[in-house]
Amino acid sequence: MSYPPQNPYGQQPYGQQPPPGYSQQQYEQSHQATQAGMPLPPQAPPYQAAPAGQFGAPLFQPPGGEGPQLWDAGTLPANDNVNPYCFSVDLNGAYYLQKGKMIAYYGEMRFSGIGRGALDQLLERNFNSPLHASDWVVAEGRGKLLLADRAYDLNSYDLEDGNLTVRSGNLLAFEPTLQLKQSIIPGFLTLIGTGKFVAASNGPVHFVEPPVRVDPQALVGWADCPAPCHHYDHGYLHGVLGGLRHLTGIGGASGEEHQFEFIGAGQVLMQSSEALMADRSVGVIGAEPGIPGAGVPHQQQQHGGGLQGLGNLGDLGRRFGL
Amino acid sequence: MAQFRLQGSKVLAVDLAGDTVKARNGSMVAYTGQMGFKKLSGGGDGLRGMVTRRLTGERMEVMEVKGQGTCYFADKATEINLVRLNGETLFVESDNLLCTEASLRTGTSFTGLNGMASGNGLFTTKVEGQGWAAVTSHGPAVILRVSQGLPLRVDPGAYIAHTGNLHRALKSGAGWSTLIGEGGGEAMQVEFTGEGLVYVQPSERMTLGGEV
Repeated sequence: MSYPPQNPYGQQPYGQQPPPGYSQQQYEQSHQATQAGMPLPPQAPPYQAAPAGQFGAPLFQPPGGEGPQLWDAGTLPANDNVNPYCFSVDLNGAYYLQKGKMIAYYGEMRFSGIGRGALDQLLERNFNSPLHASDWVVAEGRGKLLLADRAYDLNSYDLEDGNLTVRSGNLLAFEPTLQLKQSIIPGFLTLIGTGKFVAASNGPVHFVEPPVRVDPQALVGWADCPAPCHHYDHGYLHGVLGGLRHLTGIGGASGEEHQFEFIGAGQVLMQSSEALMADRSVGVIGAEPGIPGAGVPHQQQQHGGGLQGLGNLGDLGRRFGL
Repeated sequence: MAQFRLQGSKVLAVDLAGDTVKARNGSMVAYTGQMGFKKLSGGGDGLRGMVTRRLTGERMEVMEVKGQGTCYFADKATEINLVRLNGETLFVESDNLLCTEASLRTGTSFTGLNGMASGNGLFTTKVEGQGWAAVTSHGPAVILRVSQGLPLRVDPGAYIAHTGNLHRALKSGAGWSTLIGEGGGEAMQVEFTGEGLVYVQPSERMTLGGEV
């Protein structure tokens, strides 16, 4: 197959040329902060018609004129979505990303596991989550880096001197200007500082203002200072009949007795499905008293020999004295 | 002349007027008019192709669809990308090839050790000739152009197809740190150099190289 002899992008260094059809103004608009500290994710740029037959490439051209778009190092957006499922990072320096989320890159890059000697200084500043270290890598170099995760929706978020807590499996990448810390709530990571990060959600992400109760599987994260707590609906499990129902299982449960409740000022991020990332085993938090999720049992079992198999409804059996 | 068009992004509609297309076995979801479906043994490349496919492990269960009307194809709600070939060659993973026009020849091509290390097998499927081919991808495919001086490196789990005059080589970042479990997670990359297009899906298959 033949390509035109001169190549319009080949001589250009990275990032010199704004991508066609994606003006700076548009870029800024899509990145406009809607709220201090927690801007909404930018919209993906609209799909462009392909440069028709420009490269002699076998591309689908439907009669409407709108075809798939060709990308290369010059036309890929800088730190923005290529489509709802793919994010392009304009790498110049270092970037943290979760293992296995790179799908392609132009340029020269090196991926090194966290815990390597040369990166220790960077890590001291930014990476304060030793349990998750084995899931993360640092990409170093120059070029365009494409990230994607199981065709989940990707969004980038700009933090300005803010904080955001996100489920550890949903966080894909973040700038080294942010600090990553482990949340007190097991399985969540907190980002603090100013910078951009990329998170995945199954289906588009929704922002909800507390007070709100969300399904645990739909929760992606929260920003600013809502207080997260568990909420159990077991009103109908009260009394003798309810107790019987709970013990015997007759009558069943709706499966929605347990929610997360958020109160306070901030925003809660939800995904539009209840599909979760497979949790990776990250080990146990240091066994010290007073640390939630640590390997220490926080209370001695008082009711030895009590009924087993009561489910996890707040150890309800104990309240019945069983 | 079979007419390929997309019905939404996940269903391929093919208008047939007495001609045939080759499609993955069992991918028909609906049809109007009169259609006949015939399983082709061994990928439909004749006896030689059948033996080759059996030997190379690049299996394709292919059926021949012939008739009058419109036939609809889909595969596990994956996105469909239409590729028009005018004498070029399309290299595609056999798992991602959904449907081809009868005028296209399919065969297998040796990718060497690159393919094996990436977990995609030693061989890949080659489609050549004049006509339409439909390629599936998990999530809409991103089409990346490779030109002189701008090589592209792709995660083998996200690679689905390429066209053009491309050379592919395995680039390994694995070293001693991979062995002690502190690898970069991206130890295997396929490097494309030359001139052409690479189709990448926003998702990764499980590959041998994916976990190191």
